[in-house]
Amino acid sequence: MASITIDNVVKQFANQTVLQNLSLHVPDGAFYTLLGPSGCGKTTLLRCIAGFNEPDGGRILFDKDDVTRVSTHHRDIGMVFQDYALFPDKTAFDNVAYGLRARKVPKAEIARRVNEALDKVSLLALADRYPAQMSGGQRQRVALARALVIRPRVLLMDEPLSNLDAKMRLQMRDVILDLVREAGITTVFVTHDQEEALAMSDRIAIMDRGSIAQLGTPEELYGTPVNAYVADFIGSANVIPVPAESAGGAASHVRYQLCGQQLDGKQGGAALGAQGILIARPEALSLMAPAPHVPNAIAGEVLRRQYLGFKTAYRIRLHDQSEIRVELHAGNMVADFQAGDAVQVLVPADSRVVAA
Amino acid sequence: MKINWWPWGFLTLLSLVLLLFFVFYPLGTLFVNSVRDESGAFSLSGFITLLQDSEYLLAFRNTLVLGVSVTACTVAVGVPFAYMVARYDFPLKNLVAVLPIMTIVIPEIIVGQSWLLLLGNNGLVTNLLAGAGITLPTFYGWTGMVFSMTLVYYTYIYLGVLAALRGFDGQLEEAGLSLGTSPLVTKLRVLVPVILPAVLVNALVVFTLVVGNFALSVVLGSSVPLLSVMTYNAFVGEMGGSPTLQSAMSVVSIGIVAIVLFFQKRVVERKIYTMTQGRAPAVVRVRSGAAVFYTLSVGVIIVLSMLPLLIVFVGAFTETSGPVMRWGQWSLSSLERALRGAPEPIINSLKFASMATVVGVAFAVLVSYLTIKKRNPFTQLLDYIVVLPLTISGTVLGIALVQTFNTGWLVLAGTSGIMVLCYTVRRLPFAVRNASSTLFNISDSIEEASISLGVSPLKTFFKVLLPAMKASIISAAILMWVTTISELSASIVVYTGGLETMPIAIFRQVDGGRLGLASAYGAALVSVILLPIVVAIKVFRINLFSSK
Repeated sequence: MASITIDNVVKQFANQTVLQNLSLHVPDGAFYTLLGPSGCGKTTLLRCIAGFNEPDGGRILFDKDDVTRVSTHHRDIGMVFQDYALFPDKTAFDNVAYGLRARKVPKAEIARRVNEALDKVSLLALADRYPAQMSGGQRQRVALARALVIRPRVLLMDEPLSNLDAKMRLQMRDVILDLVREAGITTVFVTHDQEEALAMSDRIAIMDRGSIAQLGTPEELYGTPVNAYVADFIGSANVIPVPAESAGGAASHVRYQLCGQQLDGKQGGAALGAQGILIARPEALSLMAPAPHVPNAIAGEVLRRQYLGFKTAYRIRLHDQSEIRVELHAGNMVADFQAGDAVQVLVPADSRVVAA
Repeated sequence: MKINWWPWGFLTLLSLVLLLFFVFYPLGTLFVNSVRDESGAFSLSGFITLLQDSEYLLAFRNTLVLGVSVTACTVAVGVPFAYMVARYDFPLKNLVAVLPIMTIVIPEIIVGQSWLLLLGNNGLVTNLLAGAGITLPTFYGWTGMVFSMTLVYYTYIYLGVLAALRGFDGQLEEAGLSLGTSPLVTKLRVLVPVILPAVLVNALVVFTLVVGNFALSVVLGSSVPLLSVMTYNAFVGEMGGSPTLQSAMSVVSIGIVAIVLFFQKRVVERKIYTMTQGRAPAVVRVRSGAAVFYTLSVGVIIVLSMLPLLIVFVGAFTETSGPVMRWGQWSLSSLERALRGAPEPIINSLKFASMATVVGVAFAVLVSYLTIKKRNPFTQLLDYIVVLPLTISGTVLGIALVQTFNTGWLVLAGTSGIMVLCYTVRRLPFAVRNASSTLFNISDSIEEASISLGVSPLKTFFKVLLPAMKASIISAAILMWVTTISELSASIVVYTGGLETMPIAIFRQVDGGRLGLASAYGAALVSVILLPIVVAIKVFRINLFSSK
C-alpha cells in the first residue's frame, strides 16, 4: 500500500496538451475517483500513474519513491481495464495466477492465494472456465481478483463498469468497494458516470481539459460546486449568469439580481466580479402560489409539468422569458401546479453564486 | 512521435532491412536491368525490341483477352452461385462449405494435368467419345485455359460476393419495396449497387491472377503465346545471356498488375459502402423443380471443382505404357517409380515448404505485430513493402531473385536458400494478412494487463500475445504450407539440378507426356497437402475457446 503523489505532471500528445501541470495527492488507503467527460485527460492521468504514458514534465511518487521513469512492470500496480483484458487462452485460475507466477511465488502458495481471491469474488466454482465462457460481470470479477491477488501498492481502475449492464454495474460497485476496503488498498478509479463517482469515492477529482476543476468529497462537490462546469457535471443545476456584488456582513453573503429583482445568496469558490453565476439545483427550489409575496422569491408561470412518480418536474418561465427548472419531491410537495398557473419560485438564500 | 528502441524499434529496423534486401532490392535490380544494355549503360533497347516483336505483342493481347474472358466466366459462375447459396436453401447445400478450402488446396498444375487426363488428346473422355464417333475440339489452347482457369478462380468471386450478400441489410430491400418499386427493380436499384463493388474487387483479383498464371498457361496453352510463358521462355533461353529482355518483359507484367491495383484502390474501393447493421434477409427454402435445378447447378460446379482430386489418384494407380494411360488396368508401377525411383522432388518439397513455413510464419507474426500493435512511421513503411510481392507474378519474382542473388557477396542461386526465399517472399503477404486478422481482434489492454502484473513487454509478447494468436498462427502455417508446397511459377524459374520439387516434377512429366508418372507425384503432393489439414481440423476441435 502506498500514497500516490502527482506533482505538476504535464503530458502532451502531438502538440496538444492533455495534462496541464496537474497535481494531486491520494493518501494511503483512499479511494479517489477521476471524473470527467471523454477527452478531459482522466484516462491519460491514470495511464501516467500506471506507467503506460510517460509524463513530459513533473513527477509521480508512490510514497516517497519517484516512479516517474520506472517501467510499468516494475511499479507493482494492479490495474483493471474497461474491456476486462483477460487472457483469452487462460482459465480464470490461470489468469489470476499470472501475476503471482511472474513473481516466482511458490506453487502451493499460488494455489492458496488464487483460490482465496476467486472465493472473494464468488467465482471459485468457475476457476476452470475460459473468459469466453463467462459473462461480463464474471469476467470483470476475475480481472479484479487478478489485480488484487498480487497485493499491489496501488489499484488503478479504468472505467471498469462501463461495459456492464445497468443491474450488474450496481452489483459490481459493491463487490469492488468491499474488496478494496478490506484490502485497504489505495485506489484511483476513472469514470465518466457521476452517480458511480458519488456512490463509491472518498474524494472525487472533477477534470476539465487537463486540469482538476474541483477536488472534494461527493457532498462537497454536490453541495458547494466551485463553478458552473462542476455544478453541471455533477447532478443537474440551473446555471444562470447574474449581476452580483458582495454584500458585506458575513464574508460569503452575496446580493444578486434575477429577473430585475434583488435576491440574497452565498458566494462559492473564488471572489466575484460584477457578474456571477447562480447555481440552483432544481430540487433546492420550491414553488408557491403567486400571493402573498415572500422574500427571495421571483414570479413566473408554469410552462410544463411532468409527473415522474417520486418527483414532479416543472419548467417555469420568468418574466424576462428565461426558464428555470424546479423539482418537487413527492414527500415534501406542499402544493401542485398545472401548466399556465402563475407561481412564485423560492430561491433559498444559501444558493451559490460563483465567479463567471 | 517517440519510439521505444528496445525491443520493438530494433526489431522493426531489422524486419525493414530484411524486407528491403530480399523484396525491394531484387525488384529494384529488375527495374534497373530492364533499362540497361550489356555494357551497363542506360538503354531502352529491351522495351524497343519488345515493341517491335510481333509475337510479343500478340502474347500481350492474348494475355489481356484471356484475363478478360476468364474473369467474365468466373463472374458468370461465381455471382449466381453466391446468390443461390446466400438466399436459398436446397438439398445438399452444406456441401458448399468445403469449396473454399478445397480449391485453395488443389494445386493448379494438378487441375491442368487431370483435365488433360480426361479431355486431352489421349484423354479418358476424349477416347470414349471418339469410340462413339464424336470428336471433341482440342482441349489445348483457349478452350482448355478458359475452362480450367474458370474452375480454379471462380471461388474468389463466389466468396467475395457471398460475404457481401451476407452482410447486406435485408431491410434495405424491404424499404425499397415499401417505397413502391417492384421486387426486380428493387434488386437492381438497391441490391446491385451494394454488391457490385465486391464483384469488381474480386474480378480485378482474378484478372491479375490470370495474367500472372503460369501453370495452366504452360500446360494447356502451348499454341497460344502468353506473357507469363514467354517471359519464362526468355529466361530459360537466355540463362547466362543478357538479362535486359527478360527484365523488360517482367517490368511490363508488373506494370499491368500495378495499373489494375491502382484502379482498384482509387476507383473501386471508394465505392464500397459499409452496412451499419447487416441483417441478411432470411434464407428461402426452395422446393420441387427449383430445388432440383439449384442442387444440380451447384452440384455440377462442386463436382467439376473437386474432380481433379479424384482423377489424380486414379491416374496414379493406372497402368501406363509410355505416354498411353491404360484406363481400367490398375497398377502400382507409376507410384513405385516416383516414390522409390526418384523420391528427390518429394523430399525437396517437404524440406523447402517446411523451412518456408517456419521462416515465413515467424516473420509474418512479427511484422503484423509491429504494424498493428507498435505503430510508428517505420512500421507504416513495413506495411507497404510487405504487400509488394502481391504485384509480382511468380515468374517475375523468380527472375528478380535469380538476377539479384546469382552474383555478389550473397550467392543464393543454386542453393536450397533461393527456393526457400522465393516460397517465403511469394506467400508473405498472405501470411501477414492471416496473422493480422486476429491481431486486430486482440485488444491492446491484454498486453497492458500482463505488463501491469509485472511481466516485461518482451516476455508479455511470448506469454500472452502468441498464445492468444495460437489458432491463427496454426491456420497461417497450414495455408503457408499448402500454398508453398504447390508453388510452381517462381520455383521453376529459380530451381537448378538437385532442387526439383513435386510441382516441378509434375510439370516436367506432363511436358514430356508422361501423365502416369505426373499423377503419381500429383497423388503424393495432394496427400502431403491434405494431411496437415486433417490434423489441423482435429487440433482446432480441441481448442474451442475463442478470444472474445
